[in-house]
Amino acid sequence: MTFTSTDLEVEGAAGGETVGEPAPASPPAQGRHLVHAFLRDRVAVACGVYILLVVLMALAAPLLVKISGYGPLEFDQSAVDPNLGGLPIGWGGGMGAEHWFGVEPGNGRDIFARIVYGARVSMTIALAATVLTSVLGVVFGLIAGYFGGRVDMVVSRVMEFLMAFPALIFMIAVLSALPADNRQFLLVVVISFFGWPYLARIVRGQTMSLKEREFVESARASGASSLQIIFKEILPNLASTIIVMTTLAVPGYVGTEAGLSFLGVGVVPPTPSWGQMIASSVPWYAVDPAYFLIPGAFLFMLVLSFTVLGDRVKKIAESGEGRA
Amino acid sequence: MSRFLLNRLLGMVVVLFGVCLFTFVIFFVLSPDPAVQICGKNCTPEAIDQIRENLGLDQPFWTQFWTFISGLFVGRTYGTGPNAIDCAAPCLGYSFQTSQPVTDMIMQRLPVSATIAIGAALLWLLSGVAGGLISAVREGRFADRFIAGLTLTGMSIPNYVLALSLQFVLVVTLGWLPFPQAVSFGNDPLQWFLNFLMPWIVLAIGAAAVYTRLTRANVIESLQENYVRTARAKGLSPGLVWRRHALRPALTPIVTIFGMDFANLLGGALITETVFGLNGVGKLAADSITKNDQPVIMAVTLLAAFLVVVGAMVVDLLYTAIDPRVRVGSAK
Amino acid sequence: MNKRSTRAPAAIMAAALLLTGCSGGGADDSGGGGGGDPVEGGTVHMLQNADFSYLDPARGFDGGVNAFYRLIYRGLTTQAAGDAEDPNAIVPDLAESLGTASEDGLTWTYTLKDGLKFDNGDPITSAEVEFGISRAWDPEIGIGSPWLKKTIAAPEDYLGPYRSGDHPGIDAPDEHTIVFHLIEPFPEFDNVLAQPNAVPFPVGSGAGDEFINDIIASGPYTLESYTPGSLIELVRNEHWDPETDDVRRAYPDAWEFEIGLEGATIDERLMAGQGSDVNAISGVIQAATLARVQTPELQERLKTSPAYCTTYMSMNMTKAPFDQLEVRQAINWAIDRKSVQTASGGTQLADPATTIIPEAVTGHQDFDLYPSEDYGGDTDKALELLAQVGLEDGFSFVLDIRSQPKMQAQAEAIQQALKEINVEVELNVIDTSTYYETIGTPSQQHDAAITGWCPDWASSASTMVPPLVDGRNITDKGNTNLAQIDDETINARIDEISAMTDLEAANAEWGELDEEVMALAPIAPLVWEKGIFLPGENIAGYHPSTSMTDLTIIGLEDPSLG
Repeated sequence: MTFTSTDLEVEGAAGGETVGEPAPASPPAQGRHLVHAFLRDRVAVACGVYILLVVLMALAAPLLVKISGYGPLEFDQSAVDPNLGGLPIGWGGGMGAEHWFGVEPGNGRDIFARIVYGARVSMTIALAATVLTSVLGVVFGLIAGYFGGRVDMVVSRVMEFLMAFPALIFMIAVLSALPADNRQFLLVVVISFFGWPYLARIVRGQTMSLKEREFVESARASGASSLQIIFKEILPNLASTIIVMTTLAVPGYVGTEAGLSFLGVGVVPPTPSWGQMIASSVPWYAVDPAYFLIPGAFLFMLVLSFTVLGDRVKKIAESGEGRA
Repeated sequence: MSRFLLNRLLGMVVVLFGVCLFTFVIFFVLSPDPAVQICGKNCTPEAIDQIRENLGLDQPFWTQFWTFISGLFVGRTYGTGPNAIDCAAPCLGYSFQTSQPVTDMIMQRLPVSATIAIGAALLWLLSGVAGGLISAVREGRFADRFIAGLTLTGMSIPNYVLALSLQFVLVVTLGWLPFPQAVSFGNDPLQWFLNFLMPWIVLAIGAAAVYTRLTRANVIESLQENYVRTARAKGLSPGLVWRRHALRPALTPIVTIFGMDFANLLGGALITETVFGLNGVGKLAADSITKNDQPVIMAVTLLAAFLVVVGAMVVDLLYTAIDPRVRVGSAK
Repeated sequence: MNKRSTRAPAAIMAAALLLTGCSGGGADDSGGGGGGDPVEGGTVHMLQNADFSYLDPARGFDGGVNAFYRLIYRGLTTQAAGDAEDPNAIVPDLAESLGTASEDGLTWTYTLKDGLKFDNGDPITSAEVEFGISRAWDPEIGIGSPWLKKTIAAPEDYLGPYRSGDHPGIDAPDEHTIVFHLIEPFPEFDNVLAQPNAVPFPVGSGAGDEFINDIIASGPYTLESYTPGSLIELVRNEHWDPETDDVRRAYPDAWEFEIGLEGATIDERLMAGQGSDVNAISGVIQAATLARVQTPELQERLKTSPAYCTTYMSMNMTKAPFDQLEVRQAINWAIDRKSVQTASGGTQLADPATTIIPEAVTGHQDFDLYPSEDYGGDTDKALELLAQVGLEDGFSFVLDIRSQPKMQAQAEAIQQALKEINVEVELNVIDTSTYYETIGTPSQQHDAAITGWCPDWASSASTMVPPLVDGRNITDKGNTNLAQIDDETINARIDEISAMTDLEAANAEWGELDEEVMALAPIAPLVWEKGIFLPGENIAGYHPSTSMTDLTIIGLEDPSLG
């Protein structure tokens, strides 16, 4: 409840939606400008590199684990001290050549392997949710904005309804009650279900103003069908908005997935996930801070990188607008 | 104005009814049989049937839904005979796991959630607006960039990671703060403050970051508006220009999201309350979810939705009062 | 029984946290936080995660709440004080002495003491005892301990005092005498009356939700305030006469139960011992805390208690390949109990279990039919057995577990160990709130499940072994014989031992039966989870137990502190 992406709401509010002035239509920024501007920004590049690293890590997880020597589920009883409740032996939660990031207390599972495999879960779910949300948001936003009238009313009511919903409580309740068979899929569905209105609202507003513009009028006059107008004329004009909104949404989803796993309704163990690792580190953080800090830092950096990236993409898109 | 109000009220009722219905359907389908929970361990199928009948659980869906809705307004009675349980209006249901009326459970915990919410809201509102103003005034300079960095960090740190880190550093390692407990203000104002400080910070930091960015953007934007330039050209004192022409319109959008965010929080800060072990509505929700105590989950969901919807309406009304650019008639 | 109540999640957590007392065989004798003696006065604080299941003893039934009931309620008999020589023993409480059985064992008679009163000053006579006990038959209220209903004769349609009036199987011929008519002879009937729901209440009270938020006490304390899920405050019951009570000492003037705290927070507070936390006690400390209590000061405060429950994995004998003896034995050979032990908190919090009856429960006999070096499992033996039935290439099965970190860790340890014998374990994580209901329903349970079992009374193994292996006890719902073993020899042995009136001899037999059952390997005992407790510095007379801590003998060394 506290961490559905408030940011998106803000963008919505700032975009002038609620004030009642349609936001200005933004023609697509030139792609090359965008890339250039982006590459000049060192912070953005650093964030991009980190994200890339996590993606690579996720993709190459099985390989990396072969190199490091321990799988994500493998126990290593020799790395923990059974007389101290299974506390990892040695400095930094058992860090060393054997276990690069140390081991989990109690069972001695390799944290490096679990981080690497956990990245898979984080990325898969966040990206899948982003794709699904964007599709839903764009389609419903376009439909509502373009057709207006009754269609708009229905879609708007549904959006209002979903946004009024205490999403977090509800997500947890539903997830904990549903069978755990296909948790990853369920997570994506549930996150997207509550996420799309935030994008749809903006798309709707821009569509409403775009459809009054001359080029749409002329397309209509030349006999184009509604579908053609929506997808050929209006959609391309929304590209930069959608890119910006989507980039801004990703960190929210990464956080949501981790949060749900932290609360115990995310992916099912023993599948590793960062949120889950943080949750299980709670009782240990005073004696084995590394166990908490490592997944905590990976998660924080990932969310931060996506946030910064989204922020920069937005700025660049806006300034691109200015030039065009 | 009154027509606008009426429309809003109607819309609110529709949304709330939708939330009720949706929640009810979901839990009707998903939840475990309360009769089994009541029946306990030495249960026979006959006993379960008996209980189901007593509680009206054998009734069709719509009858049960109607009983629930009417219970909100006129109360209801669970069961018949010597063990009947009265649930006075507004009856949000009866928790068969804890044997408590849900309304009571929520009311007992609301003060804790409200304390957390109000403190956090004040904190993020003040720091957010202040940070935003500083950034706007110092646009492009070090202070601005520094604050920008802080806000990005604040927006990105998952609140449970922050909560645990703060607790580790401030409580466990340094011993500066106590483990948060719901100390009442009347008993010991200082302890009250110290106990609630961490939850306030944890909850406020994300929102404060958002508010900073928003304030900054709005102030910068309105300083460039024509009427501000005109006012300046007319020779009004800078202070007056700021107050009347830049600040006021710039802060208007803040009110919009503040109402919603605050309402959202009143319904319980699930993660923060859980991490710190504070018995507010959010923790109640989390505990009930673990125990699958369906009536409570449903009630908390409804309460939270109710607060958000009412919050949205209050915001709309306030809006018309503070922003000279908006008049109700012209709002779409 | 504790471990399978339908309200299990809360109940178990409470049980786990509250743990109990006594050191079953006197694991420690000093009995106090600082080693001093308790004196009268002050307030003892109990820090706990979960709320008690019910204040009404006819409804609640688990280790945690049973310990709490002892502070506010009294029965005809009760478990001996936590520091008694045999804390498992049953001693008279409201009754002058233990019951007198008739020749045929079907009628038991008790005589009440003089001067017994409720917290409102009304006298407790046999009528109130009969009334209180008869509440167990109410279908909605009597959901606690099943033993009264299992032993005392009552017509099928008797539905408790509120619907059906007086209990036909209990007579109160005069104010002091109470007579019970049993369904069949039950030599351990004194234990039944020590159950938490066998307590007196004023005639006519306690219908509906009357005892949900308020109670009528017969013990040394009564309820001052109750905020569900947050706080319970107890104060002295002025009408309790210590002269009538040989068990409870009731040193402190008041009790405060702080509820809803996280386990880690509780441990931190106990270690720090700030303010009133010097007067605090709690349940077993967390595994993660162990490393931090190694300092001499904290070591001195630590208390231990042996395990009263056995954590085990049941193997569903109605499903292949667990219908084959060799397979079940192979699993017993292969499991690495050492790693399960580490997953359960390590050597200080758990011991590898090789028998069904834990050591602290009377009747335990020490044996290990599937021995291996350092309890690490013997894969060669296991593979050999599997080869005999042509399963040397392995098989896979589904293991039901509760979504709770420790149980998941235990399951993962088994998963790892069985991989060595090519057996693939698929974990089926079930929500805590529905776990016991699911595995107790044979149509829903899978191939195997991890769960625990505690005896309803520790003075004999009669409630430890039979519930898990009596073939006639397999029910459609609420089944406790998870392996669904139905072996004629074992069934007959259960009947034979249950009928023995010499309880000591019976206990020896239960131990024998344990071994006979383990030869058939319907279950694989995993660990005995012990308790380590960290009481506040000012706590005295503390004898924690993993079964039921005797709160009534605890006090403060210096009531002026905190």
